[in-house]
Amino acid sequence: MSEWFADLKADFILNFVQENRWKFLATGLRNTLIITFLSVLIGVVLGIIVAIIKSSYDKTYKEINSRFKKFIFKIINAFCDVYLTVIRGTPIVVQLMIMYYIIFASSRNSLMVAVIAFGINSGAYVAEIVRSGIMSIDPGQFEAGRSLGFGYPQTMLYIILPQAFKNILPALANEFIVLLKETSVAGYVTIRDLTMGGNIIRAATYSAFMPLVAVAVIYLVMVIVFTKLVNILERRLRKSER
Amino acid sequence: MKDNIIIETTNLCKYYNGDKIKALDGVDLQIKKGEVVVIIGPSGSGKSTYLRSLNLLEIPTNGTINFEGNDITDPKANINKHRQKMGMVFQHFNLFPNMTVLKNMTLAPIKLLKMPKADASLKAMELLKRVGLEDRAFAYPSQLSGGQKQRVAIVRALMMNPEVMLFDEPTSALDPEMVGEVLDVMKSLAKEGMTMVVVTHEMGFAKEVADRVIFMSEGKIFEEGAPEEIFTNPTHQRTQQFLHSVL
Repeated sequence: MSEWFADLKADFILNFVQENRWKFLATGLRNTLIITFLSVLIGVVLGIIVAIIKSSYDKTYKEINSRFKKFIFKIINAFCDVYLTVIRGTPIVVQLMIMYYIIFASSRNSLMVAVIAFGINSGAYVAEIVRSGIMSIDPGQFEAGRSLGFGYPQTMLYIILPQAFKNILPALANEFIVLLKETSVAGYVTIRDLTMGGNIIRAATYSAFMPLVAVAVIYLVMVIVFTKLVNILERRLRKSER
Repeated sequence: MKDNIIIETTNLCKYYNGDKIKALDGVDLQIKKGEVVVIIGPSGSGKSTYLRSLNLLEIPTNGTINFEGNDITDPKANINKHRQKMGMVFQHFNLFPNMTVLKNMTLAPIKLLKMPKADASLKAMELLKRVGLEDRAFAYPSQLSGGQKQRVAIVRALMMNPEVMLFDEPTSALDPEMVGEVLDVMKSLAKEGMTMVVVTHEMGFAKEVADRVIFMSEGKIFEEGAPEEIFTNPTHQRTQQFLHSVL
């Protein structure tokens, strides 16, 4: 037993302490967090915009009486459809490499390229989540808002989205967790994220167990902490339903 | 146009499926300021569609709606401004479930009329007191009974100082013992001279409060007149049939 423990300790020192190898994990974690948080911001903003465009198109297209406006609206809506189809229809690794090696081939800031790629990717999923939230709200809420004199955008902002947000919080949290873990493919475009950090240590020490389990545990802890935070938020938002 | 007429609809039509289904088939009606107009009729007669098209929740296929001298069916008309002056009460209350009663009431005046928050709250409390709900100001809609919800919905609409109140079957979703409390609020509103258009199945209310009763069927007005005339001496056979089946 004590022998096994001593081995483990030696393994730990080799992988993390010697030559300050823990720093690979630290910078990796930092990069993973940067990519996740910035791309989640892009994703949420993009997702809400696309969701509002698509659900407004379904709800109000018939009521628009200007031909020109109808035409413009149709084009924007079609653009959103293409975006959703392409992004959801191709793997994130491929999108990331296309971004890095083709679209932003001249940029050496791989971190920012990854933020954009993951943000655009997440936006497509968030859009459908938000749209399902908007559609889950009783049309009577829309009518109540409009009958008080709120315009369409104001009704959306003050009345529909706050209610929709409460309904989609679990799905949004899920998307955040998926995104956090998906960033582990950032290594494909030379980014030293958390996964890459563990892999670098493994390659240097020829010992796989310690660095890879450490990486797994760090992801797990982040997800558990985040889930707890979301649960607290959810309980707060639900206080109007007793 | 005469200056005491507040709403006038001319040849109002609403067709679905091209023109196969005629929910409204040429409705001409003038509503005077301070008048209480009650619309009755069998289900599917177009009475709710008519009421909802008055503030353009339904977009009419044909015809015009004149409100305070403005044609609001004109695409250039600012419908949001006109809607502020037409309070609407729905069958299913449509309170905002994520907001307290007070917030439900103050949201629109604060955002749209730029009323200071304190003034809006004060006004809301006054109105709640009038309908006997001042102790429920901080409750959420889910904590209220149906009758309480509908009373809140009425005062929420009143917060905007509307010129007209539209009621779309306000008591149809209520348990029978709660109908009275909502009708009482509506009666007191009528007494104060509020212009009201009410779609309802409450014939007692129509008899007691209405200045004019409209009988609609198949998207048309069949008969209109003072409640005594309509209820005691209906001329049209459709009206007789309908009243026979509900009274």
